[in-house]
Amino acid sequence: MKLTTKQLTLCALLTAMALALSYLENLFPLSLAIPVPGVKLGLANIVTVFALYALGPGEALLILLARCFLGALFAGNMNALIFSLLGGLSAMGVMIFLSRRRGLSLYGVSIGGAAAHNCGQIAAAVLTLGSTAPLYYLPVLLAVSLLTGGLTGLASACLFQGLRHTDLMKG
Amino acid sequence: MRRLAVSILLTALLLSGCGAQMSPDEAQESIQVLAMDTAMLITTYGERSPAAAYACEDAIRDLEKQLSRTDPDSEVSRLNASAGEPVEVGEDLGVLLELAKYYHGSTGGAFNIAVAPVVSAWGFTEDSFQVPSQAELDGLLELVQGPSYIGPRSSGGTICYSLGPGQAIDLGGIAKGYAADKIVKVLQEHDVPRANINLGGNVLAYGDRPDGTPWRVGIQDPARADEQNAFAGVLALTDSFAVTSGGYQRYFEEGGKRYHHIIDPSTGYPADSGLTSVTVVAGLGGGDGFPGTMCDAYSTALFIMGEEQALAFWRDETQRGEQGCPFELVLVTEDGRVVVTPSLADRFTLEETSGYTLEVVPS
Amino acid sequence: MRPSPKLRPTAWDGLVVLCVAALALGLAFFQWRGGTSEALTAVVSVDGTEVDRLDLEHWEGPQVYTNNGYTLTLSGIRHNDTENGVWVAESDCPTQDCVRTGAIFRSGQSIVCLPARIIIRLEGGTPDPDAVDAVLG
Repeated sequence: MKLTTKQLTLCALLTAMALALSYLENLFPLSLAIPVPGVKLGLANIVTVFALYALGPGEALLILLARCFLGALFAGNMNALIFSLLGGLSAMGVMIFLSRRRGLSLYGVSIGGAAAHNCGQIAAAVLTLGSTAPLYYLPVLLAVSLLTGGLTGLASACLFQGLRHTDLMKG
Repeated sequence: MRRLAVSILLTALLLSGCGAQMSPDEAQESIQVLAMDTAMLITTYGERSPAAAYACEDAIRDLEKQLSRTDPDSEVSRLNASAGEPVEVGEDLGVLLELAKYYHGSTGGAFNIAVAPVVSAWGFTEDSFQVPSQAELDGLLELVQGPSYIGPRSSGGTICYSLGPGQAIDLGGIAKGYAADKIVKVLQEHDVPRANINLGGNVLAYGDRPDGTPWRVGIQDPARADEQNAFAGVLALTDSFAVTSGGYQRYFEEGGKRYHHIIDPSTGYPADSGLTSVTVVAGLGGGDGFPGTMCDAYSTALFIMGEEQALAFWRDETQRGEQGCPFELVLVTEDGRVVVTPSLADRFTLEETSGYTLEVVPS
Repeated sequence: MRPSPKLRPTAWDGLVVLCVAALALGLAFFQWRGGTSEALTAVVSVDGTEVDRLDLEHWEGPQVYTNNGYTLTLSGIRHNDTENGVWVAESDCPTQDCVRTGAIFRSGQSIVCLPARIIIRLEGGTPDPDAVDAVLG
């Protein structure tokens, strides 16, 4: 994959934005309203969705990896890395698949991604704890992902609407 | 943008609705705490049950930090290491020392927190059991029977106590009871309707069971100490403390003889009073504001006293009426009897299979 | 050139929503069935943190737990072909209290190993109104 300067700049910008969004959502912990560990708005997914359409799967993956490693580095918590990586990669895989289905809109892609993100995180919890107890939370997390996925879908839709006439979308 | 803001608001409302769906009566939190050398089980009910349960744990850990004999930084350890110098104590330790002084007097010396050096000589503090020589015990008993601690002395707004050289105190006989008293306050603050707190043999039956019946509290059969569900009998309790002391709880064997951990302060030897366990029960309002602490202290003291003295003590305290601290007893004797004080009789069910005979004390 | 994304929800999005919802409901139903079929569960906690939930209907062990320098071997046991339980078959802790406790069969009972700071507690199972809520002693 060869990146133009413009693409590289965009990747860096999007990585920074994803990190900022991750930080932002920690300021409004959704887990206060829904007392389930791992409940998150998943705002950083907006960036993944955007990158997927505006740049392509390879670049989106690059941004995702950079966000996960930098996020873990900033938090000083390498334990969290496996959670964000497994969650992020699952979401990425599902969204790449769904974004190729012509009939689906941003909403369907986002919801699928959010659900996959939660599945990945639970898988990480099962792996690190060596116990199947975290599976208990999956139904609630999936139900919540319908809402959070819809919300990130809405945010991405607004984003594309706003950027429709810029040359960003022409790659 | 407006659509986005509205959606976020709606979603947030929807989600906060989900969180509050739990029925307040059903809510329950059960946590286990390993503290004060024992396994504790805290089960709270009601809307704020998780917060209440963790607040209980905090209260226990806080007390343990002050009162532990094995933690060198605790107030008790500093007092024990002070060699005659006055040591500043916090509110909790101050209250406990005064209560211990009171129980020492009321039980005629059977309850004595200064017996710690003797308990250590037997190896019960460090789990390195041995039978001490009579000469060693005689020396230590002088420390135990002398004035154990002096205080409170206030100096510049702080309260100080001092111990004589070589003297040491161990609050193991009242710390868990005191923790139970503190927990009652925590439960009240959190509007907990009912709770079942077991601090390693110190039970607090708070309110009633969710099905509206009293909590069922089993008294371990001392003769079958290693078996679970082997009871001498079962108590039906609401809003009560119950504490059991028995020689079967901790002991070692040497030369074919069994030595348990409840040391008689007058002899320096494990109490040999004909009782195998003593259970003291009191209501939440009794015990001069510290019913849990009282039950804990008296269960030890009455085990040392033996059946006759224990019942005489119970009678005295009951007859003093308002001035006394009413409590009820379940005594299990070596010769196979379970002795119950009269007002507890209808709340106690003898376990048929245990083989004990039930005696109700005449009122 | 990538396909530009559709910005308005389509019927196909509904299919994704249905799939996720079906998965959530299916899992919830599976757990609910597992939860109320009187499945007696051994909850193992180490240092106060729950590490394992063992459904005694299916689990037989043995399972080894190590903490604080001590190692316990937990094993399943079947009593009268009907009652399921667990016991600590082996431990290198000095007190051996966990081994001496023997097997536990009823909800609410527990095995505690203080030196290893491990607690095994039974939950679930058929509720027994005569069971005691706490044990003194």
